[in-house]
Amino acid sequence: MSADSEHVAPAHHGPTVRQYLLIGLVLAIITVIEVWLSFSDIGAILVPALLIFSGIKFVIVVGWFMHLRYDSLFLTQLFVVGLVLGSGVLLSLITLFWTDASDIVGFN
Amino acid sequence: MAAATHDAPAHPPTNTGVDNRKLLMWGFLASECLFFGSLIATYLIFRDESIIGPFPHDWVDINGTEHEGVLDIPLTSISTFVLLMSSVTMVLAVYGARIGRPQMMKVWLLATAVLGLGFLGFQAYEFVAFVDEGLTLGTNQFGASFFVLTGLHGTHVGVGVLVLLLTLLGSFRRNGLGPNAGDHVEIVGLYWHFVDIVWIIIFTVVYLIPSAPPPGVIEFF
Repeated sequence: MSADSEHVAPAHHGPTVRQYLLIGLVLAIITVIEVWLSFSDIGAILVPALLIFSGIKFVIVVGWFMHLRYDSLFLTQLFVVGLVLGSGVLLSLITLFWTDASDIVGFN
Repeated sequence: MAAATHDAPAHPPTNTGVDNRKLLMWGFLASECLFFGSLIATYLIFRDESIIGPFPHDWVDINGTEHEGVLDIPLTSISTFVLLMSSVTMVLAVYGARIGRPQMMKVWLLATAVLGLGFLGFQAYEFVAFVDEGLTLGTNQFGASFFVLTGLHGTHVGVGVLVLLLTLLGSFRRNGLGPNAGDHVEIVGLYWHFVDIVWIIIFTVVYLIPSAPPPGVIEFF
């Protein structure tokens, strides 16, 4: 075990600077596409498309920027448990409390 | 036992083979998924339940008159880009810390903090603009859920900026951040990236996905 000073530069496993910049560029491009889609009249496909693109960005940031794909599987499992529970809470709340306009008091 | 992770130079002897502070941060982020999951669900539930305006997106009333929504997507796209780029600068700071280049780490830490402050500036401007247009916490369901969700996210960003600045400050000590500078900065980076990915979801759900037209009939009774 070493690394007791900054003179000893440990190896960095994972993306290089160039790859990080490329990933950043990809994220920016995806964001531009999302904004463009939101202003386009593409009908019912808009919401799924936006969610898919957001999901892609989410995975890219978690996997590469947060280094999860290079780290211990245990960390992935830990985070995924939280993610699944959070998604479950979201879906449960929406299922339980979602209303449409006709349920609003005073409407119609 | 060999370390389970790939990129850290060495790990203290833990049962999991993972640095305990890193494990704690990931556990915290997992809990934050529940926190923001419930807030986003609340926003989705209440967003379309306002019976008076302002409303989030443009809409047309029963007379065919067009009304503007309060959300400014072009402006928020810029702030989203700013926060996205702060994730890039953050990862460069971690990289600099890992390969033993403290100057690189400091520069990119500062850049990340500046971009984070820029994002907060955009948020503040947006909040003030909304208040000017008559949207506050107490105006309607949309206002209440919007300000709670984005306000709490902004608070997280603010805390992140504070931590970044404190980390930067600590790097100027005689021994810098110590022999485990890479670990320290990486853990800060994990929090910062999470704040970014939460905004990725919020930006999509709040701004990009169109809301249902308001029950405009009510306004004409």
